[in-house]
Amino acid sequence: MAKPASSPVIQLTDLKKRFGVGDAEHYALDGVDLTVQKGEFIAIMGPSGCGKTTLLNIIGMLDRATDGEYVLDGRNVEDLRGGKQARIRAEQIGFIFQSFNLIERLNVLENVALPLTYSGLHHMKRIQRASDVLKSFHLQEREYYMPWQLSGGQTQRVAIARALVNDPSIILADEPTGNLDSKSSHIIMEELSEIHKKGNTILMVTHNPNLTTYATRVITMLDGHIDTDTAHPTLPAASSEKRPLGKPKTKRKYTKRKGKK
Amino acid sequence: MLLLADHYRTARQSLDRSRLRAFLTMLGVAIGVASITAILALSGGVNKVIGKQVAELGSSIAVVRPSTGQPTLADLSNPSPSNAYSTSPFQERDIESIRNINDTEAVAALMTISGSVRTSFATPPRSTIVATSPEMQDIAGLNISEGQFIDSVTKQNTAVIGTQLSIDLFGTEQSIGQNFLIRGQPFTVIGVLERQNRPINYNNVDFDYAAIISFESGKLFNGGVAQIQQIDAKAKPGTDMSAYGSAIEKAMQKNHDDQKDVDVFTGQEIAKPTSALFKFVSIVMAVIASISLLVGGIGIMNIMLVGVSERTREIGLRKAVGASNATIVSQFLIESLIISFLGGLLGFLGGYFIAFVVSLLIPYDPTFSWMIVGWAFGLSLGVGVLFGLYPAIRAARKDPIESLRRYH
Repeated sequence: MAKPASSPVIQLTDLKKRFGVGDAEHYALDGVDLTVQKGEFIAIMGPSGCGKTTLLNIIGMLDRATDGEYVLDGRNVEDLRGGKQARIRAEQIGFIFQSFNLIERLNVLENVALPLTYSGLHHMKRIQRASDVLKSFHLQEREYYMPWQLSGGQTQRVAIARALVNDPSIILADEPTGNLDSKSSHIIMEELSEIHKKGNTILMVTHNPNLTTYATRVITMLDGHIDTDTAHPTLPAASSEKRPLGKPKTKRKYTKRKGKK
Repeated sequence: MLLLADHYRTARQSLDRSRLRAFLTMLGVAIGVASITAILALSGGVNKVIGKQVAELGSSIAVVRPSTGQPTLADLSNPSPSNAYSTSPFQERDIESIRNINDTEAVAALMTISGSVRTSFATPPRSTIVATSPEMQDIAGLNISEGQFIDSVTKQNTAVIGTQLSIDLFGTEQSIGQNFLIRGQPFTVIGVLERQNRPINYNNVDFDYAAIISFESGKLFNGGVAQIQQIDAKAKPGTDMSAYGSAIEKAMQKNHDDQKDVDVFTGQEIAKPTSALFKFVSIVMAVIASISLLVGGIGIMNIMLVGVSERTREIGLRKAVGASNATIVSQFLIESLIISFLGGLLGFLGGYFIAFVVSLLIPYDPTFSWMIVGWAFGLSLGVGVLFGLYPAIRAARKDPIESLRRYH
């Protein structure tokens, strides 16, 4: 299944992550081997506590592995210093979170432009880039909205735009639809699959088997290691097994549409 | 640097959001900086007044005073009154020794005598009795408005008085021939000085309130022994003052059994505050000012720590999208620097306001100098860095995973 021409974006070899010491010692990751090629859309499934999020955090360099090798774009990042890792995060990795994590006091445009701050682009250029990305998400008329003026689905689309603004080699999504209702979830997934079709590499952690239909490869994890790795998933067998999609959000109000600032 | 402008923008945004909080924190720094600015401006004012007098008199004056030594920390709790009342090291022959130095044009000893000045119907609330020699007129630049200055042929029990003392004693500036009492002894006014309006001067005597008597009369009040507080010497024009100063010093040491117990001041040095009390007061004020600055700094640290914990999630996100620890440190450091800088600015202006208000009550004006500007801003920025660093480092040390997990 690997495309022989290109080198893998991510190569993990015997990756281990230990939490606690002594009696409390516990391996969240216990020898993960994973190769991700450019252009793959991988869904990572598995029960709570199987190490999905830890894996994502390590790939995103928010965390360090205890043991093992991690090569990103041909560079072994495990022994890079913090500042260097931050630079790689700024330039090569885009994060999408379950809880969106927009900064409340920045408007949509500034939120999207945020990652570019750390790659040293000029302010005006950053705003320009962010505006372009928002346009491709058909959100340009929301540019000057504040995060609390958006619906959950819109908020997550803004967050996706933010993840894409620095043109990363890989997008890491940790349950991107976890806080959204089913309609918004599907909009978000369509959006992600659109991005994928444009040639982006996506790694997504999810609890929802339905969403794996969008992926090109499904990995299930169990107790800190990869349990199954399916290249072309079929639809989940029985609909009765489906977990219900997230409850509709009532907390965020979609009002205050009046005028841009 | 590009990032610096971004940090500035971010800091402005976050300060804008909690304006009252930022303003109150600034106020803390402002109070500290204001007191330091006021102290420096006013003490600079004193030096300037005396410095100007020295310059006016032509810098040919050398002043000899007993050594006071450096004020120590112990002086704060015990401002040793012994200094004020102790016997001065000067001997009467010191005057002659200085007179015998080749370059000396005039020399006058200053002997202030404690005691009351009064007539039978008036007791002025304020007066100084000064015993000195006729040369003082030339050295201190005292002009006579009426009558004459004391001279070598005037009788005992005659005095020259300052304008204000004349008014306080006799209700008029024309008081020649009038009699009054100094420590119970009758004295006759033989001259009245022109108004000086120099309450601050290097002789530490306000001549407007002074009764000047001859040196010999003064000795009589002290049981025939001279009690000299200060000797003023005037050099001939064109004398090298530092050489002259050391010549005096050498002569004094010879007279005083090789003890170095007096200091010789020439030129602008004379303007330096030498009174132990003055030093004591400035030390106390400086300590108070630095305490308020410290409190202001603690305020900054406090508010920055609150800000850091409020913005934990933002910090986590910023790290996730590529902020390094150093970037986070500088972001928060710039925020605290903005607070302390604006506080410093406010304090600087406020300090000058205080100084001008205070100067209405005291006889000299505050000065402006770039040194004061430097101190005010150096201190406020120093406080910003010192007290902003810890919160900033704390912000940078936050684990992004933990930070993002909070408040889900």
